Amino acid sequence: MMVELFVAIALAAAPPPQTEKRQTVRISAERFSFIPSQVKVKAGTVVEFRVSSEDTNHGFRIPSAGIDRIIPKRGKGELQVIYRAERPGRYDFECSKPCGAGHTMMRGLIIVEE
Amino acid sequence: MATRKRRFPALWLALAATAVAQTPDPQTPPAAPPSAETRLPFAGYMDFHFNKPRGQPGQLDFHRFVLLFGHSFSDRIKFWSELELEHALVEGREEKGELELEQAYVDFLVKPYLNFRGGMLLAPIGLINERHEPPSFNGVERPFVDTVILPSTWFDGGAGVFGDLGRGFLYKAYVMSSLDATGFDAAEGLRGGRQKGFESSFQNPALTGRLEYHGRPGLALGASFWRGLTGFNLPGINPRVRVVELDGRWRLGRLDFRGQFANVGISKAGELNVALQRDLGVSPNVAERLRGFYWESAARLLPRRCPHELVAFFRYENFDTQNKMPRGFQPLKQFDREAFVIGATYYPEPDVALKFDYTFLRNQSRVVRAVNSLNFGIGWWF
Repeated sequence: MMVELFVAIALAAAPPPQTEKRQTVRISAERFSFIPSQVKVKAGTVVEFRVSSEDTNHGFRIPSAGIDRIIPKRGKGELQVIYRAERPGRYDFECSKPCGAGHTMMRGLIIVEE
Repeated sequence: MATRKRRFPALWLALAATAVAQTPDPQTPPAAPPSAETRLPFAGYMDFHFNKPRGQPGQLDFHRFVLLFGHSFSDRIKFWSELELEHALVEGREEKGELELEQAYVDFLVKPYLNFRGGMLLAPIGLINERHEPPSFNGVERPFVDTVILPSTWFDGGAGVFGDLGRGFLYKAYVMSSLDATGFDAAEGLRGGRQKGFESSFQNPALTGRLEYHGRPGLALGASFWRGLTGFNLPGINPRVRVVELDGRWRLGRLDFRGQFANVGISKAGELNVALQRDLGVSPNVAERLRGFYWESAARLLPRRCPHELVAFFRYENFDTQNKMPRGFQPLKQFDREAFVIGATYYPEPDVALKFDYTFLRNQSRVVRAVNSLNFGIGWWF
């Protein structure tokens, strides 16, 4: 029993497998733009997107990461998405839920720098 | 397993604690919350009105029934469309309603700052023409400036480029079919000149564009222009129309402000009036310059924690479709108008708007009286 307890304490106290840089990015969505529409992060950062809407539901899709979620309507909370910025490059994000006449204009860019 | 659980309770406890402490797989999106809406392959909005002009009987009007369809051929090629039925019934005359294809285009997405678009397009002019879903503006009817100075919904065939320049700047620049000057008139300006993509003449394509700034939360600024020759149906006269527009929206806590200014210039308006009088028997009295502006203040009255929203607003509009007449033509004072619109919008949820307003309409004429109106509406988006 003592051995079990020792293992238990050791496992619970163990640090995460690796230390990662974390960054929170807040984005506001409204017909028909994301603000900001361009987000710069360093490679290796784990980005927590917190996305809220000023009007209706929007979609938050990052095709390169397979992320596609619904942003709640105004006053209904915010969407939280974890995104690992692994390799330098430029990655699109877009509204994936039809939101009005200018829906297809609603796009943004994640710039992952060295 | 149950036995093993009983034998190693502390180990299970530790594994559970470790699982909580670990970072979840960042690339795996968690399941959608139960409140998330189903995504339909189409969207739409509707607008149902009760209008009661003073001294006249009230009218119920299912003003707009609009369906929007889209399709992604790939991540880089996308289709989008908007089909609108106005006033519920189509019977071959505009007075009986209209069925309009307001948008139907394909986007070719290349770079954030440079993308291509072709098909039936909305002219990128003003606050309302591209952002006209009923819950997105106050008032039962669209602002007068967005009706008789800028003829929303203004759409036609064309092609162009658009993109995001960074630092909050977005742009659009299109070549579109022009307006038809034979449809211009004194009361509604350019409105009757829209070709609406019906075998539109492309003899003198028009240029239009818009620059928007969204760099700061709550603030949106826009500037747009349109210019084109409009006389393809008139022998010997080719009036040039120039439209310049500026607008802004600002959200400050529980307050919302918006404003717009629009100026329209029509060259050779005198010759146009003479030519049209020859055909029609009466001069349409088209002006050389049309001008209008409005500002609106709105306050969200309910506390943030309330699931509903109640917005009270006031809008002042000043618009004159005969702001400057060509030499030899007199302006009619009834077209120099101003409106005071006071009302409220109740949102039982963000996509459903119950609207009320009272519109005090004034003009400078001592003969023709402007008519005030009481308006109720329900508008929704899905």
